[in-house]
Amino acid sequence: MEESEDVPKDFIKLKSEKLSVDEVSELVISPYCGAVSLFIGTTRNNFEGKKVIHLEYEAYTSMAETEIKKICRDIRQKWPSVKHIAVHHRLGAVPITEASVIIAVSSPHRAESLEAVMYCINTLKASVPIWKKEIYEDESSWKENKECFWANSEK
Amino acid sequence: RRRRRGPAAEGSSPRDGGSMRCQVSVLYFARSAELAGLRCETLSVPREITSLQLWEEIVKVHPRLALIRDQVIFAVRQEYVLLGDQLLVLQPGDEVAIIPPISGG
Repeated sequence: MEESEDVPKDFIKLKSEKLSVDEVSELVISPYCGAVSLFIGTTRNNFEGKKVIHLEYEAYTSMAETEIKKICRDIRQKWPSVKHIAVHHRLGAVPITEASVIIAVSSPHRAESLEAVMYCINTLKASVPIWKKEIYEDESSWKENKECFWANSEK
Repeated sequence: RRRRRGPAAEGSSPRDGGSMRCQVSVLYFARSAELAGLRCETLSVPREITSLQLWEEIVKVHPRLALIRDQVIFAVRQEYVLLGDQLLVLQPGDEVAIIPPISGG
């Protein structure tokens, strides 16, 4: 059985089920790569002294996938040795401590995948149309990433 | 059969006069969906319109959206557009999304 050339692939998924680190990292493993770098965004239980009960995510799904694809293209331009990229983002209700986003990147050597993962999460927070709402005991609040250039910086 | 009447005139009816309108799908997300009370609808808007004028058309239908005017941008055909002087040339069925400050990741 001959191996394919292991053509670089992007794996992008928005889903309401619990995310799996094993699943996402296995997507990017390649016999040509000595490194898989990973970022996991988890949900915190507090904000400004308020207890967060859970979080809810919604997305402009078709545009979010397109924007994530653009980020993958940017990554491959900046770090041509990157092999596979996987971005899984959860939608709907996410309990505290569970992952809201997992990003995995493989490359022959570690520097590129480490840098690419950081670029990916930073750019995702600035450009992908996904929204998070924190549900507290008595109220709720739509969050705003500081990376978002059209958000008000003062409240 | 092509009528040369200006940039927005492809496939249009013979009627013109600068007030041609078309039906676009408006999508609301996050806070804007809460304020508008819905997630999507079809609106008739002028085919050529600045992004700020488009916002004003939408606020006429949903006045509570005025609360977030300083924080939103549009996505027109899935490209971000600031509220301002940018001239949009809309086609029937175009998607126009209200985009409050994002918080993915």
